[in-house]
Amino acid sequence: MDPRKKFIETLNSYKKGSISRREFLGKTGLGLATAVMAMNMPGLMGLRQANAASKLGNRVSLATWPNYHDPENLKKFTEKTGVHIQHNVFGSNEEMLAKVQAGGSPFDVMVITNYTISTYVKLGLLEPLDLSKLPNFIEANHEQVFIGEAKIGGKIYAVPKNWGTTGYVVNTKKIKDKMTTWKQFWDLTITKYSGRTIVHDYQLTAIGNALKYFGYSFNSIDPKELAEAEKLMIKAKPHLFAISSDYQPAMRNGDAWMSICWTGDGSQLHRDMPEIQYVLGKEGGELWTDFFAIPKSAEHLEAAYALTNFLLDPAVNAAEVKKHGYPATDKLTNKLLPKEMLDDPIMYPAKELLDPLEFGAAATLTSPLRAEVMARFKAA
Amino acid sequence: MEPKNTDLSTTNNHGDFDIEFINVTKHYGDVVALNDTNLKIPRGSFHSLLGPSGCGKTTSLRLIAGFEQPTSGDVRHRGVSMVGIPAYKRPVNMVFQHYAPFPHLNVEENISYGPRQRSPKPPKQELKKLVGEMLELVRLPGFQNRRIWQLSGGQLQRIVLARALINRPAVLLLDEPLAALDRKLRREMQMELQSLQREVGITFVLVTHDQEEALSMSDTISIMRDGGIVQTGTPSELYDTPVDRYVADFVGESNFFSGIVSAADSAQATIQTKTEISLTAPYPEGGKHLTIGQRGAIAVRPEMVLIWPLTHEQPKDIDFSVKGRITNRIYLGHQAEFRVVTDSLGEILARIPKTAEAVTRDLAPGDEILLGWQWNFGLAMPDA
Amino acid sequence: MAKKSSSYVTTLLLAPMAIWMTALLILPILVVLVYSFGELAEMGGYKPAFTLAQYANLPARLTAFKNTLVLAPAGTLAAFLIAYPLAYYLARTVEPRRRMILLTLVIVPFWTSFLIRTYAWMFILGGRGIPALLEFIGIEGVRLLNTPTAVLIGIVYGYLPLMVFPIFVSLEKVDESLLEASNDLGASPVRTFLQVTLPLSLPGVATACMIVFILLMGEFLIPALLGGGKVFFIGNALVDLFLQSRNWPFGSAVAITLVVVMLVIVSLYMRMIFKPGKTQDVSMI
Repeated sequence: MDPRKKFIETLNSYKKGSISRREFLGKTGLGLATAVMAMNMPGLMGLRQANAASKLGNRVSLATWPNYHDPENLKKFTEKTGVHIQHNVFGSNEEMLAKVQAGGSPFDVMVITNYTISTYVKLGLLEPLDLSKLPNFIEANHEQVFIGEAKIGGKIYAVPKNWGTTGYVVNTKKIKDKMTTWKQFWDLTITKYSGRTIVHDYQLTAIGNALKYFGYSFNSIDPKELAEAEKLMIKAKPHLFAISSDYQPAMRNGDAWMSICWTGDGSQLHRDMPEIQYVLGKEGGELWTDFFAIPKSAEHLEAAYALTNFLLDPAVNAAEVKKHGYPATDKLTNKLLPKEMLDDPIMYPAKELLDPLEFGAAATLTSPLRAEVMARFKAA
Repeated sequence: MEPKNTDLSTTNNHGDFDIEFINVTKHYGDVVALNDTNLKIPRGSFHSLLGPSGCGKTTSLRLIAGFEQPTSGDVRHRGVSMVGIPAYKRPVNMVFQHYAPFPHLNVEENISYGPRQRSPKPPKQELKKLVGEMLELVRLPGFQNRRIWQLSGGQLQRIVLARALINRPAVLLLDEPLAALDRKLRREMQMELQSLQREVGITFVLVTHDQEEALSMSDTISIMRDGGIVQTGTPSELYDTPVDRYVADFVGESNFFSGIVSAADSAQATIQTKTEISLTAPYPEGGKHLTIGQRGAIAVRPEMVLIWPLTHEQPKDIDFSVKGRITNRIYLGHQAEFRVVTDSLGEILARIPKTAEAVTRDLAPGDEILLGWQWNFGLAMPDA
Repeated sequence: MAKKSSSYVTTLLLAPMAIWMTALLILPILVVLVYSFGELAEMGGYKPAFTLAQYANLPARLTAFKNTLVLAPAGTLAAFLIAYPLAYYLARTVEPRRRMILLTLVIVPFWTSFLIRTYAWMFILGGRGIPALLEFIGIEGVRLLNTPTAVLIGIVYGYLPLMVFPIFVSLEKVDESLLEASNDLGASPVRTFLQVTLPLSLPGVATACMIVFILLMGEFLIPALLGGGKVFFIGNALVDLFLQSRNWPFGSAVAITLVVVMLVIVSLYMRMIFKPGKTQDVSMI
């Protein structure tokens, strides 16, 4: 191709390339700063209905992930109830947990992932939900597998929002091999496609998918198995393009050809660049569910229930799914989704691919072994 | 104004001049700092450039030092052009107005700075000895290890002198070196500089705006004004025979009587004042001749004016007298200064030496007196 | 009497400062110190205890310390090498009227978030930035982003103004007549620079290097963004320990060690640069 034309194309692609807010806000704690500021200075938020007397109050604070809500939905909620939403975006579950655990971060509604729930509960940060205030949550409409970890001692501490998988994306224009396994992912990283792979800056998925290379459990905390995974990771390190959870820009501009990836990012990348394919390793990997939870420290309890219930409304939920591309757990919501979405293999992988997947385990969260493997991997 | 140069040497050998300016002009943008100036400074002399600020004296010094290059003309050292030669290659050294000692070096390191730039560097022992000698010369023995901030103004002055002299320059340039010192210290340093110059025997070029300083220290002085030299001469030449009113005014004090030239020849001129008084005086040596009808002035130094009581006889040799009233009398120790108001010639200043006090002892303000001078003690010059 | 009341006033005036320092500097460090002797709680976080186990575990972050101790001086040196000529140009060469404009240009980047500027560098150094330009002129296969070089570029860029200003101020203070004096005494411009300008600007250089060095010791954003997470500093180790593994006691021990290492280096450095008596006349800015 004419190099000049190529260069112009490059420039144009930057206009498209997004900087993910997750990385952006997560790395700096800016999200938290805006949250705190907004809470203390409601005037800043241009609150139109500040004086609307309501038992809900006039604000509610939401801790969630980037690109995980349809802004129209949040606007509708504020219009309907007069409750303004402070939208805080986080980089990882661990970070969210660290901030709540440290105190001083009074979120009202939190979006948390399955494997963290038991830890929240053990730390006394969550209380069972008052389901009477969440009429849109109908347990029977969710498969038990998605609710499982929110049910502790028969009580429900969180209600499911979306589910998804952790696989990897491949730029098929650059990588002609037929990619189907985690073994291929690591092997080709080290050999043929050196310098083109991104691995998450995240112990659960980085270590988990290295464990899958050997066929071990994604959640293993067995020292011997971890040692093998670590060896593989350190061997691969010089061949990596980056260790980062912000992989969309590099995948989009062609610097990286392969990256560990979550369902929604896979949907978004594939939507914009069809040559980018989402692969679930045959060996397995992660299956996850995100939940709404209301922490004990919530300051706007009524508003928290109102917001959660609103977002669980099938119509609202369907709009969310259309926006972010993560499948919903709620059957009523699925009924409102277009057929092509329900047939999308990225969102709804085939059963034989789903079967070997594992839910992340709470034990990995605080495992010093895994933390040290990650630290040695990054320092290597 | 016409630049005037006085050839001070008896020979035409250019090697005898440490510094020569030949039609030197220096512009800073639109500003003319020095205009077509000629100057010759003989070897071994103490020469001053005297004038008010902005007259071009500092520019002249910087041209000699090599910090500036002339816009046109030539600056020579012993007959060799120095134009284009950078400051660090010139055989001259400078004492800066604010001394400019190196604050990060001690006294010894400051003084040895110049020799240390030479290649090859002199041996350590030799340097040590040289610095010691220099400190002896400026009468600060044992100051080697002092820090700069521990020194007084006078001490700093001597250190930077030593720092310059250690290089055995052909010419030492001094830019208002005493301006920052108090009066007593200034007197002391003036004498020291003078004797130092005699001791080391090199040419000193001093820039100053203080006429007393220039007169007391220099062998020769160039009076400067508006980017040019008005007159060059020995202090007594400048004092006794100023070429024009500017010089007469700048060097010492004078009584000026101005008017229209009513008679003139090649030796003297007569001036008629507004009050119809005719005064005659010779031209100063090298001064301009006057022509009838132009404006001129007669300058009379205060010490040439005599005063006597009305009852007293007119002193011998005095061929001119006028009546006046004393308005002020000041004792200056070695002399007495009288201010006298006259009807025809305005205020006149007279200084009577102690040795001539017999006649004036009893005079007091308010007294009517007569005053006068010997005609050839006055000087006729253009009324510039 | 008068003296006593004035000392009360001094105390009173200094009180807000003292309270501020205590609340924001000393107390947090004390908390971290206490945590560093604790144990990791079962669910992450801190469990009160008194053990030296966290400190015993420090070798686990040795690589991060080593990386930091290599990169902080290297980054400081690189920033200095670029900042000094720039500061020299601003202080001694450029005409005063343009100087203000250029100084402002040095500060302007500070008006936008550091993060945004670093992201801009991700694009400049990325495959479609400088490497694409190089390819355009025939140099192929250059990788910049996510390399130690990129981290160094980011550091130099980010810390340049911090380096330029103290040096600029100290250079501007060097009296022109000192340079003329040196010239007059036979030193060429180069020797004058080495013997007068450079030594007299050293206090500014020392200050600038210290500021940049201290900040670099805690740097974590630039390695994460421009190093692609592959360059691991002690700052990154701390972020991971506090925000990912939530191992607060070990994180605290690492943090305390970092503070101690920094104090030792800085005090050695101060003793080396600001020898008492040697440079009383050249004050720190």
